[in-house]
Amino acid sequence: MTDTAQAMRDRTAVSGVGLLLGKYPERTSLSLAVEAYDIALADAGLERKDVDGIIQLSYGYDYDRFLEAVGADVRYAYQGWSHGRFVAPMLQHAAMAVATGMAKAVAIVHGRRSKAYGQTADHEMWRQGLGPHGESPAYGALGPAFGAAIAAQRYFHLYGGSNEDLAPIAMAFRKHAQLNPIAVRKDPMTREDYLKSRWIIEPLRLFDCCQNNDGGACIIVTSAERARDLRKPPVYISGMQGVHAGRQLHNLTLPGLGVAQQDVFPYRPTREDLYAYEMAGVTQKDIDALITYDAFSPLVLFALERFGFCGPGEAREFVKDGRIELGGELPINTGGGLLSEGHMIGWNLFIEAVRQLRHECGPRQVKDAQVIQYGSFLGESVIFRR
Amino acid sequence: MKPAYKMLDEQTGRYLPFVYPEELPFWEAARRHELVLQRCDGCGRAWYPIGPACPHCFSTKWDWSRMSGRGTLHNYVVYHKAWTPYFESRVPYAVVQVELEEGPRLTTNLLGCALADIRIGMPVVVDYEEIPGDITLVQFRPAKEQS
Repeated sequence: MTDTAQAMRDRTAVSGVGLLLGKYPERTSLSLAVEAYDIALADAGLERKDVDGIIQLSYGYDYDRFLEAVGADVRYAYQGWSHGRFVAPMLQHAAMAVATGMAKAVAIVHGRRSKAYGQTADHEMWRQGLGPHGESPAYGALGPAFGAAIAAQRYFHLYGGSNEDLAPIAMAFRKHAQLNPIAVRKDPMTREDYLKSRWIIEPLRLFDCCQNNDGGACIIVTSAERARDLRKPPVYISGMQGVHAGRQLHNLTLPGLGVAQQDVFPYRPTREDLYAYEMAGVTQKDIDALITYDAFSPLVLFALERFGFCGPGEAREFVKDGRIELGGELPINTGGGLLSEGHMIGWNLFIEAVRQLRHECGPRQVKDAQVIQYGSFLGESVIFRR
Repeated sequence: MKPAYKMLDEQTGRYLPFVYPEELPFWEAARRHELVLQRCDGCGRAWYPIGPACPHCFSTKWDWSRMSGRGTLHNYVVYHKAWTPYFESRVPYAVVQVELEEGPRLTTNLLGCALADIRIGMPVVVDYEEIPGDITLVQFRPAKEQS
């Protein structure tokens, strides 16, 4: 396994990023995507003609319309399903396309309107079986938060604890957002503020759920060699592993919690579950900051246990006492995450990892950051280094 | 019954389930107040959600089989936010996952139980709720003690 794993290590890099977050009521998702692409090109010092690959998630417009809009033809195009779990795979496909010579520079791009015309997210709840977060509309099981709420409830049932254990997560990310000029939610949040925030789906409160906003995002991947000649310092893609899926990984949960048809057992990652570290040649101890998908706060607990930063049921203690804050043992979501920076599906999380490794994060910079992991509860991960 | 793909009952504002063609026997049984799921001819196990093959042994030989209707409350959450106007008069309400004696878990509501009385592990039995569109929902209620 090791030879294969090393074949991709540091061969590709993120060369350019572009991000818009906020409210753009007069804009469409297409125009926001185009603007983010333009920003990323300028960030990398690339021109339109240099980008010969495009990957995106369907969100109110499609890849061919985007290419028409930017006046580009490419030789590698792919489009996926618009859920946060599929952002890491896009970056991975970009890296693999570049490493195999199918493209020289791949842009993964997204435009998002919280009310996106042509978007069909609500209809997904009626899919055969259950919706993509376990929804079942006839029973009032509605919205993505349902998936996180039922998983959190099982977690507390198995390991003890309660909603209050999520407060340190929401508070840490809010603190980080206050150091981030583009963050959408920046009001100070005390523990009392958290505990006073209204229930959405018990055991989740308002402050356990991200907000919807508009924006655009783009990340450009090139070969490592090419990245070294471009405008910004390369951020190498050192290790990666895919979204793990199946009956044991239902929706927004951790294996073993017993959500839907999952078995009930204390989950500990196997060597195969941690392939990205092997590819990157690092361990959990080398990770200077963890970036994780946090549309809902319990997902952070699940990510910590999924990647073995702590054992089964230990994450609710792990997140306390500032350990996951800037300056702590393992800073998490240093830009504020989806919970407080904003909801750009997950692109903004990756862009934060890139900016941290370029050392351009000002007051929220992780001191001397060398290795940053994106790793989420479903197992998808990209390990970056500078 | 026929397949139905109506999301909403306009009169009440209530969300409806889609009745997919391969799931008709499940919905027809619910109309008769029976809970049926698929059971594998090969390994003998039942499963949910409804699907074309046994997810345990991947046999495509199976039959609809009546479940005992007994189960355990395995998980629950309480909705406080009303997602649509229909739910404004219904919040707070619970959504539960019930583990049937036969193994599969269903996502339903718990009828006839105050929110404060819901406990993971409590015994429950199947119940039925008539909703618009000539559809009957499989639901659960607390099992009577010592029954």
